[in-house]
Amino acid sequence: MHHFSLTLIGQDRIGIVAQVTEILFRRGCNIADSSCTLLGGQFAMILIISHPSIDSVAGFGNAFAPLEAEGLAVSLRPLPPGGEQAPDLSGSLCLISVYGSDKPGIVYPVVKELGDRRINITDLNTKLVGTTQNPVYVMMIEVVLPPQISLEDLAGWMAALRSSLQVDISVRDITPVEL
Amino acid sequence: MAVREILLYPDPRLKSPCQIVEKADGACDALIQDLVDTMYGAGHSVGVAAPQIGVPQRVAVVDVSASRQGRDNHHGLLTMINPIILQRSGTMTMREGCMSVPDYTGNVARAEEILVQFLDRNGRSRAIRCRGFEAVAVQHELDHLDGRLFLDRISSLKTDLFRRKKP
Repeated sequence: MHHFSLTLIGQDRIGIVAQVTEILFRRGCNIADSSCTLLGGQFAMILIISHPSIDSVAGFGNAFAPLEAEGLAVSLRPLPPGGEQAPDLSGSLCLISVYGSDKPGIVYPVVKELGDRRINITDLNTKLVGTTQNPVYVMMIEVVLPPQISLEDLAGWMAALRSSLQVDISVRDITPVEL
Repeated sequence: MAVREILLYPDPRLKSPCQIVEKADGACDALIQDLVDTMYGAGHSVGVAAPQIGVPQRVAVVDVSASRQGRDNHHGLLTMINPIILQRSGTMTMREGCMSVPDYTGNVARAEEILVQFLDRNGRSRAIRCRGFEAVAVQHELDHLDGRLFLDRISSLKTDLFRRKKP
């Protein structure tokens, strides 16, 4: 099986997902993993697709041309062997909530701290909420803590950022419970 | 008795409602023992329902006493025959996983406190109030008796399905 990453984004309208998946279905592609959401007024699709015989981007020909003709930005790239497999993420799963009055420079200092500490981000969403007069920036970051880092360590580093950035930050364990 | 194999979705037995136990007899007691053995045998599990080992009966066991989330608030080992929830209050969300649906977890909102009535292993009728993680575990197992999986109850859209860390 040959794997590819496929991303699409464009002005939201009804029928985008159906149009995209029809093309994939008719070409004999599998959707191995995907995440699709509305960002502002744009609908964004991120997919890992696979095909038993097509092994290059050229092999798809102009399959996605109809989407591009309707204003969707389409990007297709081959994955290196094994690139479709999830990494072995062992450790506690934590959610970091960051929120405060909107201003430049909230995301970078927080994620830089995490990167510098070798903490892997597995999911990140940001949203601008509140009113036009008082916009509030909200960021939710899901991370996997390596075994040598405790929730208290993380909370401590985030507390320092809370003061320097003048935002609210909370950290909590969301490690799944097995039932 | 025996650690039994846990059925995995899409086994249709996980999606079928279970029968009421007519008589808490020796066979029922053997089933309970298998459920207990299977739960403890899995190491990290805090509950198993009869349909998860392929028995379509309204029987489930729960024990959260050894878990980090449940050790401060629990009733020890609960062996429940024909359990029903009489009252529910509050809500809490936990990220749940299930031995019958490997590799996926999702945020599920459930009642924070429940009053559950059941026949215990010794044939006594009991009604107990569970809170927090124990209440979540009981609700999760009782859902199995109705052929319902946590996938039917996932509550939020984003950051929901996550590959569980490997043991």
